[in-house]
Amino acid sequence: MKKTNAGKKYAIFFCQQIDKNQDVNRRSIEKEFGPQIRFFPIPCSGRIEPLHLMRAIESGADKVYVVTCPEGACRYREGNIRARKRLLYTQNLIEEIGLERGMLELIRLKAGNNYTVDKLTRELLG
Amino acid sequence: MITAVRKPMEEIRGMIAPFKKILIVGCGTCVAECASGGEKEVGLLASALRIDAKNRKREIEIKEMTIDRQCVYEFIDQLTGIIENYEAVLSLGCGAGVQALAEIFPVAKIFPALNTTFIGQTKEPGLWIENCRACGDCKLGDFAAICPVTRCSKSLFNGPCGGSKDGNCEVDPELPCAWNLIITRLEEKGELGRLEKIYEPVDWSKMGKGPRKIMREDQSI
Amino acid sequence: MTSSRLKKILEKGHFAVTSECGPPKGADPKAVQDKGKTLKGFVDSVNVTDNQTGVVRLSSMASCVLLKNEGLEPVLQMVTRDRNRIALQSDILGASALGLRNILCLTGDHQSFGNQPQAKGVFDLDSIQLIQTVRKMRDQGVILGGEKLTLPPDLFIGAAENPFADPLNYRAARLAKKVAAGAEFIQTQCIYNIGRFKEWMVEIRERGLHKKVFILGGITPLKSARMAEYMSKNVAGIDVPAEIIERMKSVPAGDQRKEGIKITIELIKELQGIEGVHGVHIMAIEWEDAVPEIVREAGLAQRPDVD
Repeated sequence: MKKTNAGKKYAIFFCQQIDKNQDVNRRSIEKEFGPQIRFFPIPCSGRIEPLHLMRAIESGADKVYVVTCPEGACRYREGNIRARKRLLYTQNLIEEIGLERGMLELIRLKAGNNYTVDKLTRELLG
Repeated sequence: MITAVRKPMEEIRGMIAPFKKILIVGCGTCVAECASGGEKEVGLLASALRIDAKNRKREIEIKEMTIDRQCVYEFIDQLTGIIENYEAVLSLGCGAGVQALAEIFPVAKIFPALNTTFIGQTKEPGLWIENCRACGDCKLGDFAAICPVTRCSKSLFNGPCGGSKDGNCEVDPELPCAWNLIITRLEEKGELGRLEKIYEPVDWSKMGKGPRKIMREDQSI
Repeated sequence: MTSSRLKKILEKGHFAVTSECGPPKGADPKAVQDKGKTLKGFVDSVNVTDNQTGVVRLSSMASCVLLKNEGLEPVLQMVTRDRNRIALQSDILGASALGLRNILCLTGDHQSFGNQPQAKGVFDLDSIQLIQTVRKMRDQGVILGGEKLTLPPDLFIGAAENPFADPLNYRAARLAKKVAAGAEFIQTQCIYNIGRFKEWMVEIRERGLHKKVFILGGITPLKSARMAEYMSKNVAGIDVPAEIIERMKSVPAGDQRKEGIKITIELIKELQGIEGVHGVHIMAIEWEDAVPEIVREAGLAQRPDVD
């Protein structure tokens, strides 16, 4: 993790479909970073509600990521599209209370790659 | 259903600024259906206000509560014994709900968090359209069930005006011309002849000489 | 019974020439009087617009009286957008009492197009109901609801129609409705697409409407190719065919006004040849100076004397 990110808190919502072994893979990160990072595996990013993102901010997250499967690859067809719309809605809401839209970020994975949650997290945190 | 949209956060913040203990009351009927005042929206607003207060280093205590209907006494009564503990109430009901709360709890400081907009239909997920103005004298039977009062920008009863273009209204080119819809639908039914009759001036007094009421002896106790 | 000069001219079978005067955005009587002086003698009557496109201007009724004092015959345009039935009927009586003899009943452009978009649109009546109301007041001597008038108004009743708006196949039926409501003369939306206008007139004749109502074709001379393009793209209900736009573009900017006048004269000649067209209504928007030239070159400068 870069120095500038030291002490920052992260919430990472991610679609379980992107890493079948997420349960195991995220453990090393959780051990390493402790309460600085909280993972929220979800069966499909389409299950994300604005309230989840708000609660993550309320619980102290400085940055919230929503990681979705590649476009067109959603197992439930439109889940990742809905996730994007809800993220946009929540970005508008937090902007209204003076927060940066960038506190919430959508990460849409590229097709054709195999991802593991731990690698992905290290990439996100730089 | 009655539709509504949330007021801008700045306006809501301004209304509750002097208060620390706030009760947010949602309504589980119309405004829940149009995703502006149900339980979810109460949660979102509460969360946003808490985050905002924290960022401004202000103390705030919020209770969230959603009742089935904010316009009926039996449901509003659920707030008795709770509402008294709060300095201010943010209602996510429609205008009728806010006023009903205020009537039953005249001492409470009640503020509207929504702008009530119209009577409408959920056309598709995320799209609500206005299609009734509650004129008190429904004439849909004559107009192929398309309301000229609501859906024609000029409320014409003998339309269309000269501003109908490509089936849309000149006032808002995204909006279908109600009269184009009426004519097309009547034509399909072979009932265009209905429009030959000149519609006499409407009795707008049915829209109320002031607030309207309905009284039914059989429903009273 | 009406002493409208326009009515007499039409009844005697003359090809009527009417024009339009937009009142100023101020309390300046001279602006109206000057426009009147320009038009005097070249036209049989002058329509005065009623806060056209929802823009606040000197009142139509006041402007009509100013024109009347200049010796012109005004046509009072009245829209239902801004007045409820109480005000409309009161103004109808007022117009007659002031000696105005012609009224054009309109719904009016939506307020959102004007300079008071926050205004509450009234639309208590629509144009057809207004026609019916004036007719009732004049012929039966009663207002809506049946109350008797001490003296009925004396007005020749007109309406507008747009042969170019959608749905096209309903346009003749709509005119029939205005005639049934009691309209005695019709001034149409501006015509550029003469082909479409002729098709509409065929429908009008099939319904026998040309024998029940006087139809005056509306024409607005084009000032420039840009104006032609603007109207074609941005004004709903106005149909400017591509050939007209091309023709305007084909001459240098400095000559485009002349070309606009030429097109206008050609259109008037076409109108004169259509069975059931009883006159032309020239709406030279903020270009009243062009009217005498148009009328002269169309060979219509000799206005009939019916008084």
